[in-house]
Amino acid sequence: MHELSMAQGILNAVLDTAEANDAIRVTDMIIEIGKLAMLNPEQLKFMLGVLCKDTIAEDVNIVIEDIDVEIKCHNCDFEGIANVDDSDHYAPMILCPKCESHRVEVLNGRDVTVKNISIEREDDDEN
Amino acid sequence: MHKVADVEVAKNIMDANAKLAHKNLHLLEDHNIFCVDFVGAIGSGKTSLIEDIIDNVDEKVGVIAGDVISKFDAGRIEAHNVPVVGLNTGKECHLDAHLVGHGLGDLPLDEIDYLFIENVGNLICPVDFELGSHMRIVVVSVTEGDDTVEKHPLIFQNSGLVIINKIDLAEAVGASVDKMVEDAKRLNPDVKIITSSLKEGKGLDEVIAAIEACKAHEAEHHHH
Repeated sequence: MHELSMAQGILNAVLDTAEANDAIRVTDMIIEIGKLAMLNPEQLKFMLGVLCKDTIAEDVNIVIEDIDVEIKCHNCDFEGIANVDDSDHYAPMILCPKCESHRVEVLNGRDVTVKNISIEREDDDEN
Repeated sequence: MHKVADVEVAKNIMDANAKLAHKNLHLLEDHNIFCVDFVGAIGSGKTSLIEDIIDNVDEKVGVIAGDVISKFDAGRIEAHNVPVVGLNTGKECHLDAHLVGHGLGDLPLDEIDYLFIENVGNLICPVDFELGSHMRIVVVSVTEGDDTVEKHPLIFQNSGLVIINKIDLAEAVGASVDKMVEDAKRLNPDVKIITSSLKEGKGLDEVIAAIEACKAHEAEHHHH
């Protein structure tokens, strides 16, 4: 539901980095979304597309990568990738893959990170 | 053809909020304030619960009341003679640490022992935004349907106390309180669950005791 503000945060990070690197155009952006972040990737892409209009990131190719949920199980001490049962939930249940306990602590999988971007720069020897 | 380059951004969009949340928490701890953040759907009973707690504790309470566009909740709480800041999120579906930080600036922090933050009515978005509280309470009412707990697993896993409210209406709306308790237990095995009917005054003492216990635990944890 807060895709718009997230998209704005993402675009700001992208444009700041692009400007700092003398970009004249941003062609690709790779965004990592934890499987536990309450965001719908399709809505996020749509919002980003709207916000990118009239910026150097217009028509950017957006790649979204899912980030697995890493947990520590307080029942059996397992540490690693959790089983996420998203069969009937968009927001998944988190289970320990070893003992199926819900008594787990989430170590990773809630974040939204702009990983990298591809940019174009003005050619040095132009004009 | 222009020169092309790949540039690392590596910017965690959630980080900015997390940092501000920690800043809020530090500020609260500097003032010895115990902070509780209340989440729950629209009409679950968050404001009523806060009003009832204010009237039944000796400690001095301050409140930040989040609402999308109105000041109604802040107005209700003001009538209990406690300092209250109404925060409007405008189009947003949740409070964030930045807004709460502004709210803290408008409260007499030296004069309060408890800060209660009432989030916007929503069981989904607040999951992504910690505010800097010590304890999160989720309030769910039986009138939302007894499948509401299992449909929103993350907020129930993310909270330190679950309150199932309006149990006096369960029969009338055909909701099973037991099912809601079981679902909450399955999602968050160690969480404390209180069934309540705030209208009838049921469960309020338990809620206050749970907040006091969490406060005592935090204080001990902090000193060692």
